[in-house]
Amino acid sequence: MTKISRRTFNGLLGAAGAISTFGISGCTFGSDRVVVIGGGFGGATAAKYLKRYNPSLDVTLIDAEKSHYTCPFSNTVLAGMNSMAFINRSFDALSAKHGVKVVHATVTAIDGAAKKVVTADGQSFSYDKCIVSPGIDMKWGALAGYDEAASHIMPHAWKAGPQTELLKKQIDAMADGGVVLISSPGNPFRCPPGPYERASLIAHYLKAKKPKSKVIILDSKDDFAKSGLFKEGWEKLYEKNLEWVPAAKGGKVASVDAKGGVVATDFDKFKPAVANIIPPQTAGVVAIKSGLADKSGFCPVDPNTFESTQVKDVYVIGDSCIAGAMPKSGYSASSQAKVAAAAIVAVLKGDKPGVFSAINTCYSLLNPDYGISVAAVFEVKEGKIAGVPNSGGVSPKGANAQFRKKEADFASGWYASISQDSWG
Amino acid sequence: MKKRLLTAGVCLAATLLMAPAAQSADAITVAADACAGCHGTDGRSLGAMPAFHEKKPAELKQILREYKTGKREATIMDRIVKGYSDEQLDAMVDYYTAKK
Repeated sequence: MTKISRRTFNGLLGAAGAISTFGISGCTFGSDRVVVIGGGFGGATAAKYLKRYNPSLDVTLIDAEKSHYTCPFSNTVLAGMNSMAFINRSFDALSAKHGVKVVHATVTAIDGAAKKVVTADGQSFSYDKCIVSPGIDMKWGALAGYDEAASHIMPHAWKAGPQTELLKKQIDAMADGGVVLISSPGNPFRCPPGPYERASLIAHYLKAKKPKSKVIILDSKDDFAKSGLFKEGWEKLYEKNLEWVPAAKGGKVASVDAKGGVVATDFDKFKPAVANIIPPQTAGVVAIKSGLADKSGFCPVDPNTFESTQVKDVYVIGDSCIAGAMPKSGYSASSQAKVAAAAIVAVLKGDKPGVFSAINTCYSLLNPDYGISVAAVFEVKEGKIAGVPNSGGVSPKGANAQFRKKEADFASGWYASISQDSWG
Repeated sequence: MKKRLLTAGVCLAATLLMAPAAQSADAITVAADACAGCHGTDGRSLGAMPAFHEKKPAELKQILREYKTGKREATIMDRIVKGYSDEQLDAMVDYYTAKK
């Protein structure tokens, strides 16, 4: 029988202790540290793909919430097609499967000079590289009368979660014959076809449950994403239940009086049963406070890598960044995350960043069996992100019901896949 | 000092032994991984989108070419494949089909 001396035994314990203390994924000795801010499509994908491209990286994801409610498919919740749980994504797989450290805290500042991220509860995270993906924040006051307090009466529901639930509650409680008014902002804003998909799906719900009711979109623009396809579908499906008022016909909302229940344009005053005010937006407040945004309220970046042009070693992806022809969408954010992750991995190894390549694919539902899409492949040309010529575009006009049904099915498939690719 | 070196050594060994093989994040990886948003990580789609990790490379290359020429009916892929050269598409297929 082999005897183990006390000294050897203690030595073994020490070694085992070292493993369990640091953890395998937490073997941070000499690892480069990347801090990712925001657990939406951009941040979650970035954290996951950083670990895929270089498993030895020390990756920390910081998000204030315990889980993430996606904006994509939140309009199906409003229409009663899905539950809130359906659009809720857990961060568990990011930590358990991919070795990302997930921290729940509110980031108050990114200190680019000291290369650290500070949170409201007093924690501090040093980084070699930082990815910022905070989505959008509302530009409170840009629309007269619409501040945060007003959003608790007239929800924007442009960040999914409690706002989605509030708007749904109001639509459910509305008597038949009521008007749901949606105010759509000027460009740029998160999810350009979103207000029109929302109008469609609410109209779908009203047509079945409250047929004397109507959705009115008051628009700050004269055109919008996939407008030809939406208008074609609306004529077929919602002639009585949906009306779109462009800016040229007085659609631009000038002010709201939330307590009085009034939405005003320069020409008219509306007192709808439900008012959904989607206000002008900016980059996430944390990006602005950290000096990453320019006068536009969004963040300029190197189009090849998404590194901020204003703060070195900080990369801004998703709705907060200025990404040329790429729209502010979940798919864009996720695709940008992979470009940024690959660039960071390359640069930390002392290599040159790889070649930019990205996609946006976005489906909209007009009803559960009627889907339309827009797609594009992007490259960097003359220092700007642009669509690859002669590719991309929207679904064909005049397609038959079978085609629209197929795209509706693919919309669900899209959601399942991108959810898994980002958080799974 | 000794303990620190030992800790570092154990850590390094653990990393080398336990970490999955790192993917190189080259141009084709970045281009191909953009497809995963619709088709799932490593092409393992969970829903209505076609999965391609189990398809044969030649078959997949043929499908993509037919989307490009219009020979094969599409809802969206006809618009997407036109954003890539045939060589890029082939390399992306090889990337996905090499994963088991």
